Amino acid sequence: MTTILLVEDDKNQRLLYEQELKHDGYDVVTASDGKEALEKVQKQLPDIVIMDINMPKMDGIEAMGRILSKNKAIPVIINTAYTNYKDSFMSWVADAYVVKSSELSELKGKIKEVLANKAKDS
Amino acid sequence: MSLSNIQTYDKILTIILAGGQGERLYPLTKDRAKPAVPFGGIYRIIDFTLSNCLNSGLRKIVVLTQYKSFSLDRHLRLGWNVFNNELNEYIEQIPPQQRISDQWYQGTADAVYQNIYTLEKEQPEMVLILSGDHIYKMDYRKMALFHREKKADLTIACMDVPLDEGKRFGIIQTNEDNRIIGFHEKPSAPIPSPNNPEVTFASMGIYLFNTRTLVKAIIGDAKQNTNHDFGKNIIPEMIHSKRVYAYPFTDKNNNDLSYWRDIGTLDAYWKANMDLVQESPAFNIYDKDWPIRTYKAQYPPAKTVYQKDLPDERTDMIINSIVSGGCIISGAKVEGCILSPDIRVDPHSEIYDSIIMENVRIGRNVKIRKAIIDKSVNIPDNMSIGYDREEDSKHFTVTDSGIVVVRKEMHLI
Repeated sequence: MTTILLVEDDKNQRLLYEQELKHDGYDVVTASDGKEALEKVQKQLPDIVIMDINMPKMDGIEAMGRILSKNKAIPVIINTAYTNYKDSFMSWVADAYVVKSSELSELKGKIKEVLANKAKDS
Repeated sequence: MSLSNIQTYDKILTIILAGGQGERLYPLTKDRAKPAVPFGGIYRIIDFTLSNCLNSGLRKIVVLTQYKSFSLDRHLRLGWNVFNNELNEYIEQIPPQQRISDQWYQGTADAVYQNIYTLEKEQPEMVLILSGDHIYKMDYRKMALFHREKKADLTIACMDVPLDEGKRFGIIQTNEDNRIIGFHEKPSAPIPSPNNPEVTFASMGIYLFNTRTLVKAIIGDAKQNTNHDFGKNIIPEMIHSKRVYAYPFTDKNNNDLSYWRDIGTLDAYWKANMDLVQESPAFNIYDKDWPIRTYKAQYPPAKTVYQKDLPDERTDMIINSIVSGGCIISGAKVEGCILSPDIRVDPHSEIYDSIIMENVRIGRNVKIRKAIIDKSVNIPDNMSIGYDREEDSKHFTVTDSGIVVVRKEMHLI
Protein backbone atom coordinates (compact mmCIF):
# COMPACT_ATOMS: atom_id res chain seq x y z
CA MET A 1 0.00 0.00 0.00
CA THR A 2 1.20 3.53 -0.77
CA THR A 3 2.20 5.48 2.33
CA ILE A 4 1.78 9.23 2.43
CA LEU A 5 3.49 11.38 5.06
CA LEU A 6 1.20 14.35 5.65
CA VAL A 7 2.94 17.31 7.27
CA GLU A 8 0.49 19.95 8.50
CA ASP A 9 0.44 22.01 11.68
CA ASP A 10 -3.28 22.88 11.64
CA LYS A 11 -5.10 20.11 13.46
CA ASN A 12 -8.40 20.44 11.62
CA GLN A 13 -6.81 20.52 8.20
CA ARG A 14 -4.64 17.57 9.13
CA LEU A 15 -7.72 15.55 10.03
CA LEU A 16 -9.51 16.56 6.86
CA TYR A 17 -6.62 15.60 4.59
CA GLU A 18 -5.99 12.39 6.49
CA GLN A 19 -9.58 11.22 6.15
CA GLU A 20 -9.81 12.16 2.47
CA LEU A 21 -6.58 10.39 1.59
CA LYS A 22 -7.41 7.30 3.64
CA HIS A 23 -10.75 7.21 1.88
CA ASP A 24 -8.85 7.06 -1.42
CA GLY A 25 -6.96 4.00 -0.20
CA TYR A 26 -3.66 5.52 0.95
CA ASP A 27 -1.92 4.68 4.18
CA VAL A 28 -1.44 8.05 5.93
CA VAL A 29 1.21 8.98 8.50
CA THR A 30 1.04 12.50 9.96
CA ALA A 31 3.48 15.02 11.38
CA SER A 32 2.66 18.46 12.78
CA ASP A 33 5.91 20.29 11.98
CA GLY A 34 9.10 19.95 9.94
CA LYS A 35 11.13 18.38 12.72
CA GLU A 36 8.59 15.67 13.34
CA ALA A 37 8.45 15.11 9.58
CA LEU A 38 12.19 14.36 9.50
CA GLU A 39 11.80 11.76 12.25
CA LYS A 40 8.81 10.14 10.56
CA VAL A 41 10.60 9.99 7.20
CA GLN A 42 13.45 8.04 8.77
CA LYS A 43 11.12 5.61 10.55
CA GLN A 44 8.39 5.06 7.99
CA LEU A 45 10.12 5.70 4.65
CA PRO A 46 6.93 7.02 3.03
CA ASP A 47 6.38 6.84 -0.73
CA ILE A 48 5.53 10.53 -0.91
CA VAL A 49 5.41 13.56 1.38
CA ILE A 50 2.77 16.31 1.39
CA MET A 51 4.34 19.33 3.01
CA ASP A 52 2.86 22.51 4.41
CA ILE A 53 5.31 25.43 4.55
CA ASN A 54 4.37 27.72 7.44
CA MET A 55 4.85 25.54 10.50
CA PRO A 56 6.42 25.90 13.96
CA LYS A 57 9.86 24.45 14.88
CA MET A 58 10.99 23.84 11.29
CA ASP A 59 9.28 25.12 8.17
CA GLY A 60 8.37 22.93 5.24
CA ILE A 61 11.06 24.32 2.89
CA GLU A 62 13.89 23.47 5.26
CA ALA A 63 12.37 20.07 6.08
CA MET A 64 12.09 19.31 2.36
CA GLY A 65 15.76 20.16 1.77
CA ARG A 66 16.81 17.94 4.64
CA ILE A 67 14.65 15.05 3.44
CA LEU A 68 16.21 15.36 0.00
CA SER A 69 19.74 15.29 1.40
CA LYS A 70 19.06 11.89 3.01
CA ASN A 71 16.34 10.28 0.90
CA LYS A 72 16.63 11.41 -2.69
CA ALA A 73 13.97 9.01 -3.89
CA ILE A 74 11.08 10.35 -1.79
CA PRO A 75 9.06 12.93 -3.74
CA VAL A 76 7.61 15.97 -1.98
CA ILE A 77 4.49 17.97 -2.84
CA ILE A 78 4.24 21.42 -1.32
CA ASN A 79 0.74 22.15 -0.11
CA THR A 80 0.49 25.72 1.13
CA ALA A 81 -2.05 28.53 1.38
CA TYR A 82 0.45 30.92 -0.23
CA THR A 83 1.50 31.33 -3.85
CA ASN A 84 4.51 33.56 -3.17
CA TYR A 85 6.77 30.72 -2.03
CA LYS A 86 6.96 29.75 -5.69
CA ASP A 87 9.57 32.51 -6.03
CA SER A 88 11.77 30.83 -3.44
CA PHE A 89 14.47 28.83 -5.22
CA MET A 90 14.29 26.08 -2.61
CA SER A 91 10.60 25.55 -3.36
CA TRP A 92 11.73 24.39 -6.82
CA VAL A 93 13.05 21.28 -5.08
CA ALA A 94 9.44 20.12 -4.71
CA ASP A 95 8.01 17.74 -7.28
CA ALA A 96 4.79 19.77 -7.31
CA TYR A 97 3.42 22.94 -5.74
CA VAL A 98 -0.26 23.00 -4.79
CA VAL A 99 -2.10 26.00 -3.35
CA LYS A 100 -4.48 24.83 -0.64
CA SER A 101 -8.15 24.85 -1.36
CA SER A 102 -11.22 23.29 0.26
CA GLU A 103 -11.47 21.13 -2.81
CA LEU A 104 -8.80 18.43 -2.82
CA SER A 105 -8.95 17.26 -6.43
CA GLU A 106 -5.83 19.18 -7.54
CA LEU A 107 -3.78 17.74 -4.69
CA LYS A 108 -5.07 14.24 -5.35
CA GLY A 109 -4.31 14.60 -9.05
CA LYS A 110 -0.74 15.73 -8.29
CA ILE A 111 -0.22 12.80 -5.91
CA LYS A 112 -1.12 10.37 -8.69
CA GLU A 113 1.03 12.21 -11.22
CA VAL A 114 4.11 12.39 -8.98
CA LEU A 115 3.80 8.73 -7.95
CA ALA A 116 3.46 7.73 -11.61
CA ASN A 117 6.64 9.71 -12.47
CA LYS A 118 8.46 8.08 -9.59
CA ALA A 119 7.42 4.63 -10.79
CA LYS A 120 8.63 5.50 -14.29
CA ASP A 121 12.07 6.66 -13.01
CA SER A 122 12.69 3.59 -10.88
CA MET B 1 31.86 50.51 -23.17
CA SER B 2 28.34 51.83 -22.83
CA LEU B 3 26.60 52.48 -19.55
CA SER B 4 24.16 49.65 -20.05
CA ASN B 5 27.08 47.25 -20.34
CA ILE B 6 28.57 48.49 -17.10
CA GLN B 7 25.27 47.93 -15.38
CA THR B 8 25.32 44.34 -16.60
CA TYR B 9 28.19 43.54 -14.27
CA ASP B 10 26.17 44.64 -11.30
CA LYS B 11 23.86 41.76 -12.08
CA ILE B 12 26.55 39.09 -11.84
CA LEU B 13 27.22 37.23 -8.61
CA THR B 14 30.63 35.57 -8.51
CA ILE B 15 31.09 32.33 -6.64
CA ILE B 16 34.67 31.17 -6.08
CA LEU B 17 35.06 27.50 -5.21
CA ALA B 18 37.79 27.27 -2.60
CA GLY B 19 36.79 24.11 -0.78
CA GLY B 20 38.95 21.40 -2.35
CA GLN B 21 41.36 19.44 -0.17
CA GLY B 22 44.35 20.09 -2.40
CA GLU B 23 45.88 16.71 -1.57
CA ARG B 24 48.19 16.79 -4.56
CA LEU B 25 49.79 19.99 -3.26
CA TYR B 26 50.65 18.35 0.07
CA PRO B 27 52.67 19.35 2.15
CA LEU B 28 51.98 22.94 1.05
CA THR B 29 48.33 22.29 1.95
CA LYS B 30 49.18 20.68 5.29
CA ASP B 31 48.00 23.75 7.19
CA ARG B 32 46.11 25.72 4.56
CA ALA B 33 43.54 25.47 1.79
CA LYS B 34 44.97 25.38 -1.73
CA PRO B 35 43.82 28.90 -2.69
CA ALA B 36 45.78 30.22 0.31
CA VAL B 37 49.09 28.67 -0.75
CA PRO B 38 51.69 31.45 -1.22
CA PHE B 39 52.65 32.17 -4.83
CA GLY B 40 55.12 34.46 -6.58
CA GLY B 41 56.77 35.75 -3.42
CA ILE B 42 54.04 37.97 -1.99
CA TYR B 43 50.77 36.56 -3.32
CA ARG B 44 48.38 33.73 -2.47
CA ILE B 45 46.99 31.66 -5.35
CA ILE B 46 43.46 33.08 -4.92
CA ASP B 47 44.74 36.66 -5.40
CA PHE B 48 44.90 36.17 -9.17
CA THR B 49 41.24 35.18 -9.50
CA LEU B 50 40.14 37.88 -7.07
CA SER B 51 42.20 40.50 -8.92
CA ASN B 52 40.49 39.44 -12.15
CA CYS B 53 37.13 40.05 -10.47
CA LEU B 54 38.16 43.43 -9.13
CA ASN B 55 39.67 44.52 -12.44
CA SER B 56 36.57 43.27 -14.30
CA GLY B 57 34.29 45.33 -12.07
CA LEU B 58 32.71 42.29 -10.40
CA ARG B 59 32.19 43.25 -6.78
CA LYS B 60 29.72 40.78 -5.41
CA ILE B 61 31.82 37.79 -4.52
CA VAL B 62 31.28 34.79 -2.31
CA VAL B 63 34.14 32.43 -1.58
CA LEU B 64 32.97 28.94 -0.62
CA THR B 65 35.47 27.48 1.82
CA GLN B 66 35.59 24.15 3.56
CA TYR B 67 38.86 22.51 4.64
CA LYS B 68 41.57 24.29 6.61
CA SER B 69 40.14 27.67 5.80
CA PHE B 70 41.73 29.63 8.64
CA SER B 71 44.64 31.13 6.72
CA LEU B 72 42.41 31.81 3.70
CA ASP B 73 39.87 33.61 5.89
CA ARG B 74 42.65 35.64 7.43
CA HIS B 75 44.12 36.54 4.07
CA LEU B 76 40.73 37.66 2.72
CA ARG B 77 40.09 39.70 5.84
CA LEU B 78 43.47 41.42 5.81
CA GLY B 79 44.00 41.82 2.08
CA TRP B 80 40.61 41.95 0.46
CA ASN B 81 38.60 44.15 2.74
CA VAL B 82 38.34 46.69 -0.08
CA PHE B 83 34.71 46.39 -1.10
CA ASN B 84 32.19 48.97 -0.01
CA ASN B 85 29.12 47.46 1.58
CA GLU B 86 27.28 50.75 1.27
CA LEU B 87 27.53 50.40 -2.51
CA ASN B 88 26.29 46.83 -2.26
CA GLU B 89 29.76 45.45 -2.97
CA TYR B 90 31.05 42.59 -0.90
CA ILE B 91 33.34 39.64 -0.55
CA GLU B 92 32.00 37.01 1.82
CA GLN B 93 33.58 33.74 2.72
CA ILE B 94 31.04 31.04 3.48
CA PRO B 95 31.88 27.72 5.11
CA PRO B 96 29.25 24.95 4.83
CA GLN B 97 26.15 26.20 6.68
CA GLN B 98 24.45 22.80 6.90
CA ARG B 99 21.28 24.68 6.20
CA ILE B 100 19.69 22.26 3.77
CA SER B 101 21.92 19.28 4.38
CA ASP B 102 23.89 18.08 7.36
CA GLN B 103 26.81 17.09 5.17
CA TRP B 104 29.89 18.88 3.88
CA TYR B 105 30.09 19.83 0.22
CA GLN B 106 29.87 16.65 -1.86
CA GLY B 107 31.11 18.25 -5.09
CA THR B 108 31.28 21.56 -6.93
CA ALA B 109 27.59 21.55 -7.86
CA ASP B 110 26.58 20.57 -4.33
CA ALA B 111 28.62 23.46 -2.93
CA VAL B 112 26.54 25.88 -4.99
CA TYR B 113 23.30 24.02 -4.23
CA GLN B 114 23.95 24.29 -0.50
CA ASN B 115 24.25 28.06 -0.97
CA ILE B 116 21.01 28.43 -2.87
CA TYR B 117 19.77 30.91 -0.27
CA THR B 118 22.60 33.26 -1.22
CA LEU B 119 21.40 33.19 -4.83
CA GLU B 120 17.86 33.74 -3.70
CA LYS B 121 18.76 36.71 -1.54
CA GLU B 122 20.88 38.36 -4.24
CA GLN B 123 18.66 37.46 -7.23
CA PRO B 124 21.48 38.04 -9.75
CA GLU B 125 20.78 37.75 -13.45
CA MET B 126 23.92 35.66 -13.95
CA VAL B 127 26.23 33.63 -11.76
CA LEU B 128 29.94 33.36 -12.54
CA ILE B 129 31.54 30.27 -11.06
CA LEU B 130 35.32 30.31 -10.68
CA SER B 131 38.06 28.22 -9.10
CA GLY B 132 40.29 29.61 -6.42
CA ASP B 133 43.40 27.83 -7.73
CA HIS B 134 44.12 29.13 -11.22
CA ILE B 135 46.78 31.60 -12.34
CA TYR B 136 45.64 33.80 -15.23
CA LYS B 137 44.43 37.24 -16.18
CA MET B 138 41.01 37.48 -17.69
CA ASP B 139 38.49 40.22 -18.27
CA TYR B 140 35.22 38.51 -17.38
CA ARG B 141 33.26 41.42 -18.90
CA LYS B 142 34.16 40.21 -22.37
CA MET B 143 32.83 36.77 -21.51
CA ALA B 144 29.60 38.31 -20.17
CA LEU B 145 29.11 40.27 -23.39
CA PHE B 146 29.71 37.09 -25.41
CA HIS B 147 27.18 35.26 -23.20
CA ARG B 148 24.59 37.97 -23.84
CA GLU B 149 25.29 38.10 -27.57
CA LYS B 150 24.82 34.37 -27.92
CA LYS B 151 21.70 34.40 -25.72
CA ALA B 152 23.36 31.53 -23.91
CA ASP B 153 22.08 29.68 -20.85
CA LEU B 154 25.63 28.74 -19.93
CA THR B 155 28.98 29.92 -21.26
CA ILE B 156 32.20 28.06 -20.51
CA ALA B 157 35.61 29.68 -20.97
CA CYS B 158 37.87 27.38 -23.00
CA MET B 159 41.34 27.31 -24.44
CA ASP B 160 43.65 25.07 -26.45
CA VAL B 161 45.89 22.83 -24.38
CA PRO B 162 48.51 20.35 -25.65
CA LEU B 163 46.84 17.12 -26.72
CA ASP B 164 48.70 14.96 -24.18
CA GLU B 165 47.49 17.17 -21.31
CA GLY B 166 43.87 16.93 -22.46
CA LYS B 167 43.07 14.03 -20.15
CA ARG B 168 43.28 16.36 -17.14
CA PHE B 169 40.46 18.60 -18.40
CA GLY B 170 36.91 18.70 -19.69
CA ILE B 171 37.31 18.49 -23.47
CA ILE B 172 34.92 20.39 -25.67
CA GLN B 173 33.66 20.17 -29.22
CA THR B 174 31.84 23.12 -30.77
CA ASN B 175 30.03 23.95 -33.98
CA GLU B 176 31.06 26.95 -36.12
CA ASP B 177 28.98 29.27 -33.90
CA ASN B 178 30.92 28.22 -30.75
CA ARG B 179 27.95 26.28 -29.46
CA ILE B 180 29.10 23.26 -27.49
CA ILE B 181 28.02 19.99 -29.08
CA GLY B 182 30.25 17.59 -27.18
CA PHE B 183 31.71 17.56 -23.67
CA HIS B 184 33.91 14.83 -22.22
CA GLU B 185 35.25 15.17 -18.68
CA LYS B 186 38.86 13.98 -18.44
CA PRO B 187 38.77 11.62 -21.45
CA SER B 188 41.50 8.99 -21.82
CA ALA B 189 41.90 9.90 -25.52
CA PRO B 190 41.14 13.61 -26.04
CA ILE B 191 39.84 14.62 -29.46
CA PRO B 192 42.30 16.90 -31.30
CA SER B 193 41.20 20.35 -32.35
CA PRO B 194 39.98 20.48 -36.00
CA ASN B 195 42.45 23.28 -36.82
CA ASN B 196 45.49 21.89 -35.06
CA PRO B 197 46.03 18.17 -34.35
CA GLU B 198 48.54 18.89 -31.57
CA VAL B 199 46.08 20.64 -29.30
CA THR B 200 42.64 20.02 -27.85
CA PHE B 201 39.98 22.47 -26.72
CA ALA B 202 39.65 22.37 -22.93
CA SER B 203 37.29 23.84 -20.36
CA MET B 204 39.01 26.16 -17.90
CA GLY B 205 36.38 25.52 -15.22
CA ILE B 206 35.00 29.05 -15.59
CA TYR B 207 31.22 28.97 -15.93
CA LEU B 208 28.78 31.82 -16.52
CA PHE B 209 25.20 30.68 -15.92
CA ASN B 210 21.86 32.39 -16.18
CA THR B 211 20.68 32.13 -12.59
CA ARG B 212 17.45 30.27 -13.24
CA THR B 213 19.19 27.75 -15.47
CA LEU B 214 21.78 27.17 -12.77
CA VAL B 215 19.23 26.75 -9.99
CA LYS B 216 17.17 24.27 -11.97
CA ALA B 217 20.27 22.30 -12.90
CA ILE B 218 21.69 22.04 -9.39
CA ILE B 219 18.32 21.08 -7.92
CA GLY B 220 17.89 18.42 -10.60
CA ASP B 221 21.37 17.14 -9.80
CA ALA B 222 20.76 17.20 -6.04
CA LYS B 223 17.88 14.77 -6.54
CA GLN B 224 20.06 12.19 -8.24
CA ASN B 225 22.87 10.02 -7.05
CA THR B 226 25.74 11.63 -8.92
CA ASN B 227 29.15 13.07 -8.06
CA HIS B 228 27.42 16.47 -7.88
CA ASP B 229 30.13 17.92 -10.07
CA PHE B 230 29.74 20.56 -12.79
CA GLY B 231 32.24 18.89 -15.14
CA LYS B 232 31.11 15.31 -14.61
CA ASN B 233 27.35 15.71 -14.25
CA ILE B 234 25.76 19.10 -14.86
CA ILE B 235 27.43 20.19 -18.09
CA PRO B 236 27.37 16.91 -20.07
CA GLU B 237 23.63 16.76 -19.41
CA MET B 238 22.97 20.41 -20.11
CA ILE B 239 24.55 20.62 -23.58
CA HIS B 240 21.65 18.60 -25.00
CA SER B 241 18.83 20.68 -23.59
CA LYS B 242 20.22 24.21 -23.18
CA ARG B 243 22.18 26.82 -25.12
CA VAL B 244 25.73 26.13 -23.95
CA TYR B 245 28.56 28.11 -25.57
CA ALA B 246 32.34 28.02 -25.47
CA TYR B 247 34.03 31.37 -24.95
CA PRO B 248 37.55 31.25 -26.39
CA PHE B 249 39.83 32.67 -23.70
CA THR B 250 42.15 35.49 -24.61
CA ASP B 251 44.78 36.66 -22.22
CA LYS B 252 44.44 40.20 -20.90
CA ASN B 253 47.97 41.00 -22.11
CA ASN B 254 48.82 38.68 -24.82
CA ASN B 255 46.51 37.40 -27.49
CA ASP B 256 48.98 35.02 -29.11
CA LEU B 257 49.95 33.14 -26.02
CA SER B 258 47.10 32.74 -23.58
CA TYR B 259 48.45 32.12 -20.11
CA TRP B 260 46.36 30.01 -17.80
CA ARG B 261 47.65 27.50 -15.28
CA ASP B 262 45.73 25.09 -13.11
CA ILE B 263 47.84 24.68 -9.98
CA GLY B 264 46.89 21.06 -9.51
CA THR B 265 50.20 19.47 -8.54
CA LEU B 266 53.47 20.40 -6.85
CA ASP B 267 55.25 20.23 -10.21
CA ALA B 268 52.67 22.56 -11.80
CA TYR B 269 53.02 24.87 -8.82
CA TRP B 270 56.79 25.00 -9.13
CA LYS B 271 56.68 25.52 -12.90
CA ALA B 272 54.10 28.33 -12.71
CA ASN B 273 56.25 30.11 -10.13
CA MET B 274 59.32 29.68 -12.32
CA ASP B 275 57.38 31.29 -15.20
CA LEU B 276 57.60 34.55 -13.25
CA VAL B 277 61.40 34.68 -13.16
CA GLN B 278 62.04 34.06 -16.83
CA GLU B 279 63.84 36.87 -18.63
CA SER B 280 60.65 37.77 -20.45
CA PRO B 281 57.87 36.17 -18.38
CA ALA B 282 54.84 34.71 -20.10
CA PHE B 283 52.85 36.00 -17.16
CA ASN B 284 53.32 39.69 -16.43
CA ILE B 285 52.73 40.83 -12.85
CA TYR B 286 54.02 44.33 -13.61
CA ASP B 287 51.06 45.44 -15.73
CA LYS B 288 49.67 48.61 -14.19
CA ASP B 289 46.43 48.23 -16.11
CA TRP B 290 45.74 44.90 -14.46
CA PRO B 291 47.14 45.12 -10.93
CA ILE B 292 47.35 41.96 -8.85
CA ARG B 293 46.30 42.76 -5.31
CA THR B 294 47.34 40.97 -2.15
CA TYR B 295 47.88 41.46 1.56
CA LYS B 296 51.36 42.63 2.47
CA ALA B 297 52.70 42.94 5.96
CA GLN B 298 55.03 45.88 6.61
CA TYR B 299 58.62 44.90 5.87
CA PRO B 300 61.73 47.00 5.32
CA PRO B 301 63.20 46.93 1.78
CA ALA B 302 65.23 43.98 0.58
CA LYS B 303 68.97 44.31 1.21
CA THR B 304 72.15 42.72 0.01
CA VAL B 305 75.41 42.67 1.97
CA TYR B 306 78.98 42.59 0.71
CA GLN B 307 81.00 40.39 3.03
CA LYS B 308 84.50 41.88 2.88
CA ASP B 309 85.60 40.52 6.26
CA LEU B 310 85.62 36.98 4.91
CA PRO B 311 88.92 35.47 3.85
CA ASP B 312 87.69 35.34 0.26
CA GLU B 313 85.63 38.50 -0.15
CA ARG B 314 82.15 37.58 -1.12
CA THR B 315 79.73 39.60 -3.26
CA ASP B 316 76.08 38.71 -3.63
CA MET B 317 75.00 37.52 -6.99
CA ILE B 318 71.26 37.66 -7.67
CA ILE B 319 70.14 36.65 -11.15
CA ASN B 320 66.64 36.20 -12.66
CA SER B 321 64.96 36.23 -9.28
CA ILE B 322 62.14 37.84 -7.37
CA VAL B 323 63.25 39.18 -3.97
CA SER B 324 60.54 40.44 -1.59
CA GLY B 325 60.76 42.98 1.20
CA GLY B 326 62.59 42.26 4.43
CA CYS B 327 65.09 39.84 2.84
CA ILE B 328 68.78 40.15 3.64
CA ILE B 329 71.17 38.32 1.35
CA SER B 330 74.76 38.36 2.54
CA GLY B 331 77.49 37.14 0.26
CA ALA B 332 75.35 34.44 -1.36
CA LYS B 333 74.29 33.41 -4.83
CA VAL B 334 70.59 33.35 -5.77
CA GLU B 335 69.62 32.36 -9.29
CA GLY B 336 66.17 31.70 -10.77
CA CYS B 337 64.48 31.94 -7.37
CA ILE B 338 61.41 33.39 -5.77
CA LEU B 339 62.08 34.78 -2.32
CA SER B 340 59.10 35.70 -0.13
CA PRO B 341 59.48 38.42 2.51
CA ASP B 342 61.73 38.18 5.54
CA ILE B 343 64.35 35.67 4.42
CA ARG B 344 68.01 35.56 5.40
CA VAL B 345 70.63 33.97 3.19
CA ASP B 346 74.07 33.73 4.76
CA PRO B 347 77.50 33.76 3.07
CA HIS B 348 78.70 31.10 0.64
CA SER B 349 75.22 29.69 0.17
CA GLU B 350 73.88 29.02 -3.31
CA ILE B 351 70.23 28.70 -4.21
CA TYR B 352 69.02 27.77 -7.66
CA ASP B 353 65.53 27.44 -9.21
CA SER B 354 63.77 27.41 -5.86
CA ILE B 355 60.78 28.91 -4.10
CA ILE B 356 61.57 30.11 -0.60
CA MET B 357 58.70 31.24 1.61
CA GLU B 358 58.46 33.75 4.44
CA ASN B 359 60.67 33.72 7.49
CA VAL B 360 63.12 31.11 6.21
CA ARG B 361 66.69 31.28 7.49
CA ILE B 362 69.36 29.83 5.27
CA GLY B 363 72.70 29.32 7.02
CA ARG B 364 76.24 29.40 5.63
CA ASN B 365 77.52 27.26 2.85
CA VAL B 366 74.08 25.83 2.10
CA LYS B 367 73.28 24.49 -1.36
CA ILE B 368 69.68 24.34 -2.54
CA ARG B 369 68.47 23.37 -6.00
CA LYS B 370 64.93 22.90 -7.40
CA ALA B 371 63.24 23.07 -4.02
CA ILE B 372 60.22 24.57 -2.35
CA ILE B 373 60.95 25.64 1.24
CA ASP B 374 57.72 26.45 3.09
CA LYS B 375 57.48 29.10 5.82
CA SER B 376 59.58 29.37 8.97
CA VAL B 377 62.24 26.77 8.30
CA ASN B 378 65.84 27.12 9.49
CA ILE B 379 68.27 25.51 7.08
CA PRO B 380 71.42 24.75 9.08
CA ASP B 381 74.94 25.53 7.84
CA ASN B 382 76.45 23.20 5.21
CA MET B 383 73.19 21.49 4.35
CA SER B 384 72.40 20.42 0.76
CA ILE B 385 68.89 20.06 -0.62
CA GLY B 386 68.10 18.94 -4.15
CA TYR B 387 71.41 17.21 -4.93
CA ASP B 388 70.82 13.69 -3.66
CA ARG B 389 67.37 12.34 -4.40
CA GLU B 390 67.72 9.32 -2.16
CA GLU B 391 68.86 11.34 0.81
CA ASP B 392 66.21 14.03 0.23
CA SER B 393 63.45 11.41 0.04
CA LYS B 394 64.27 10.28 3.57
CA HIS B 395 63.24 13.62 5.04
CA PHE B 396 61.22 15.53 2.50
CA THR B 397 58.55 15.19 -0.17
CA VAL B 398 60.18 14.72 -3.58
CA THR B 399 58.01 14.99 -6.70
CA ASP B 400 58.24 12.86 -9.84
CA SER B 401 60.23 15.53 -11.59
CA GLY B 402 62.57 15.81 -8.60
CA ILE B 403 61.33 18.97 -6.86
CA VAL B 404 62.08 18.76 -3.12
CA VAL B 405 59.47 20.19 -0.78
CA VAL B 406 60.34 21.09 2.82
CA ARG B 407 57.21 21.50 4.89
CA LYS B 408 56.30 24.50 7.01
CA GLU B 409 58.12 24.91 10.34
CA MET B 410 60.07 21.69 9.85
CA HIS B 411 62.93 21.30 12.32
CA LEU B 412 66.16 20.41 10.63
CA ILE B 413 68.66 20.96 13.40
